[in-house]
Amino acid sequence: MFPASTKTLVVDDMLTMRKIVRNCLKDLGLTHVTEASDGQQAWVEIEKADATDEPYEFIVSDWNMPNMNGLDLLKKVRADEKIKSIPFILLTAEAEKSQVLEAVNAGVSGYVVKPFTPAVFTEKIKAVYSNAGKK
Amino acid sequence: MSLDVNFVNPFVQGTIETLKIQCQIEVKPGKIYLKGKGPEIEVEIAGVIGLTSKSFSGSIAICFPEPIFLAIMSNMIGENYQTITHELEDGAGELLNIIFGFAKRVLNEKGYQIEKAIPTVVRGAGLEVKHLTATPTVVLPFETQYGIFHLEVGTEGQSIT
Repeated sequence: MFPASTKTLVVDDMLTMRKIVRNCLKDLGLTHVTEASDGQQAWVEIEKADATDEPYEFIVSDWNMPNMNGLDLLKKVRADEKIKSIPFILLTAEAEKSQVLEAVNAGVSGYVVKPFTPAVFTEKIKAVYSNAGKK
Repeated sequence: MSLDVNFVNPFVQGTIETLKIQCQIEVKPGKIYLKGKGPEIEVEIAGVIGLTSKSFSGSIAICFPEPIFLAIMSNMIGENYQTITHELEDGAGELLNIIFGFAKRVLNEKGYQIEKAIPTVVRGAGLEVKHLTATPTVVLPFETQYGIFHLEVGTEGQSIT
């Protein structure tokens, strides 16, 4: 499982969902969490963290957001040499096969479809961590 | 009233699934009726999303009385809420977002070509959502242990009745 000190970024335009995700992460011992309300704000946070040499180590993002969506954020992260390997979970109501495939092709680490139970989300996080360790 | 069940059912199923999985609440769908021709509820908060497709457009709203919304949100987040705070409001939008995502997937597998959309939230005592469509708006009521909320579906260019 991710260590408790894992620096985590949660991105969703809905405050309610950010709260739900934060509570799930807290139950796993992950409390070093920053929130962003869209991909653009998330990128600002990522660049700030890079500049202080304390990069984010795990990202959970919605897909459908104004300004910059989660897929575009994922592509931006994967295109950046310094942070391209960050484990990145898309947590989204978008469930069509073509969209899942698009996310996989863009390098998503895990994909969780809303609605979800905390148990499903937790299992996905554990799987992503386990796979990240094998790379 | 005859109804295009192919179009409406995914929204019914989406609502049942979303409330069950995300909020741990069992809901029972009630008898569908045209807006203005059936029981009304005191709506105080609603999530609204635009429906866009190559062949039709419209809007969907999820409408709650305050006590029902607070009970659902308390279950969804796992904290007890007594008033609708600013941080709680977008919960109406998020619930509709998830229901819409479910229904969109099912409908697009049948060729409806519905596009992605982002919901908005409206709030106020005695709220009424007006769907700017020439065709009648359909009301889908849902009963929970806390009371009744409903979904409204209005379309233009695609008759669902």
